[in-house]
Amino acid sequence: MTVTTTTEPAAPSAAPESPVPVREASPSRAARMARSVGRWVLAYLGALALFGLLAWLKGVNPFEMYMEMWSSTFTSRSAIGEVLLKGAPFILAALAVAVPARAGLVNIGGEGQVVMGTVGAAGAALALESRLAPWAMILVMVLAAAGAGALWAGIAAGLRLKTGINEAISTLLLNYIALDVVLFLIYDRWKDASGFGQPASRPLLSSSRLPLIFDAGRLNIGIFIAIGSALAVWAVLRYTSWGFKLKVAGGNAEAARRAGLSVGALVLSAMLVGGALAGIAGMVHFAGVEGQLRSGITFTFGYVGFLASWLARHDPLKIIGAGLLLGAISVAGDSLQIDAGLPAATVNILMALVLFAVLAAGRRTQGARS
Amino acid sequence: MIVAASTAAGSNLLVVAVLIAGVTAGTSILFAALGETISERAGIINVGTEGCMLCGALGAYAAASATGNPWFGVLAGALAGGLLALVHAYMVLNRGANQLASGLALFFMGLGLTSLFGAPYVSKQVDTFSKVAIPGLSKIPAIGDIFFNQDPLTYLSFVTAPAVWFLLFRTRWGLMLRGAGERGEVLRAYGHSTVKVRYAAVVSGGMLAGIGGAQLALVVALAWFENMVQGRGFIAVALVIFAAWDPIKAMGGAWLFGAALALGPELQVRNAGVNQFLLDALPYVITLVVLIVLARKRLESAPEALADVFEGSRVVSSP
Repeated sequence: MTVTTTTEPAAPSAAPESPVPVREASPSRAARMARSVGRWVLAYLGALALFGLLAWLKGVNPFEMYMEMWSSTFTSRSAIGEVLLKGAPFILAALAVAVPARAGLVNIGGEGQVVMGTVGAAGAALALESRLAPWAMILVMVLAAAGAGALWAGIAAGLRLKTGINEAISTLLLNYIALDVVLFLIYDRWKDASGFGQPASRPLLSSSRLPLIFDAGRLNIGIFIAIGSALAVWAVLRYTSWGFKLKVAGGNAEAARRAGLSVGALVLSAMLVGGALAGIAGMVHFAGVEGQLRSGITFTFGYVGFLASWLARHDPLKIIGAGLLLGAISVAGDSLQIDAGLPAATVNILMALVLFAVLAAGRRTQGARS
Repeated sequence: MIVAASTAAGSNLLVVAVLIAGVTAGTSILFAALGETISERAGIINVGTEGCMLCGALGAYAAASATGNPWFGVLAGALAGGLLALVHAYMVLNRGANQLASGLALFFMGLGLTSLFGAPYVSKQVDTFSKVAIPGLSKIPAIGDIFFNQDPLTYLSFVTAPAVWFLLFRTRWGLMLRGAGERGEVLRAYGHSTVKVRYAAVVSGGMLAGIGGAQLALVVALAWFENMVQGRGFIAVALVIFAAWDPIKAMGGAWLFGAALALGPELQVRNAGVNQFLLDALPYVITLVVLIVLARKRLESAPEALADVFEGSRVVSSP
């Protein structure tokens, strides 16, 4: 919670006329910390209680439900592997929100950028799989996915710069277009002629899959890619002049402009980097779990990533924890469906409640930047 | 334009058929956009309109199923949409939450709640609205079929749009509402609370979105299924911008999107041989293109308090 004290952008209309006592005689640091921690704990407990209440309304015993969610998520090695597996694309998709957020942008288009990432990776594999060595193929897929994600985010950045359309709205619309692009490809151009049932693209060769970490289970190196990316983003934002300029532009665009920064280039680059990270999230899921494009490949990673980034207040290091936490909720969500018989989408309620809790508890220190 | 051979639907002309279906399909977007216009005129953007529409659709379907009367469905839909929007109002106005993030959480909430409580209604039949021809007017060639041979909720939207316009621009309440969105401090100087006005605006916005959802379930889809709104709420939010926060312009915009939504199915019926998924993407693409063409001009008429949100800086100040 140390990164929240940066420049307040003192919006002219919002500034009170009189010097309002923002903080009265500040109590001791420890007391403030305790109060802040207490508020967060209360917020999370509130979210859990509300969700339990809803489950109870549907005739599910909330205590049993939570016990079941807990035991199915944390008590076996393979279950923990699943959490890491699910968490990897969440972390990457959250970074895709955090980098633009540093420049004051709201990227709700992670979903579309993730989907385009899978398209990029699948396209690269379909074109080159037979001609490249496995390690080179994986590298090319990462690059293609990053490029496709960046392109999709770049559209939104371009619209913002050229026409002033808010990126939150354009990225939302682009999400739906990306899904139709996937459907078009798998029903048409990339349809696997030898496939059965639902249309899908040709499956990846097993050599082009992301290598597994252990011989057993499904856990692949995607989690290393995710954590490595988070560390890299943290270092770049903290130690490079680009990272510093983003923060300045995100804090007060007008001041940044007066200081001679090219805000347009910063907005564009932040969105491109964000889109590339989301694209890699798509690649990690595609080459690690799916292996082929299929309909219904809307995994909502983009939206979950948005939530994770807000949970972590756009701090790349905390995003690792937030991504894994949401990975755990998501694995637990599967047990909701299996054990409690609730629809899978019910887990969205829990996610929304957690986000509301964060937004409510983070009062006065919240913003699109950190 | 393509003129297809005759279809059972009644009209031979593709254009007319698309417009007939387009007005029906655009009505849910229109209700949501009108609600969003009210909300944004007061300075609060609700990206979670999608969630309000989902709740409205399920509320309407459930109430129509329980009572056998679709009008109770509309009422329940409005209540459900308004209740969800109340959460947004609380988060933004009392807790100082970021409007865009809270709106997205609202969408999640609507999606989750409706899938949790909607499961029993998935393949249930209920009494829905049917078309009512308006005597005389419905006999006008083409126009009659497009506008005056519709369902009661579509007629309601014809009245609601001018009513919202009148409310916003010709009444004292509308003046206060716009004051909250433009110059909150002036409103406060006269001893009014911007918070109350904004609460009212956000909640009535959610109610209208709920009615939009009701129209979707009881007129267009004649069913309830998970995530049935499919981005119409987001289109409505975009529509408000290019309608320049004007309820009357929103009517035209909503019908344009309705027509884009209707084009795909109509072409499919006629075996036009165009890829279905490209057509499915059309409404979203058209929305973006229209925004690109109009945005620069329109954004100048954005309510002052929204400029903060749109520029990515901090959300409106709590008074």
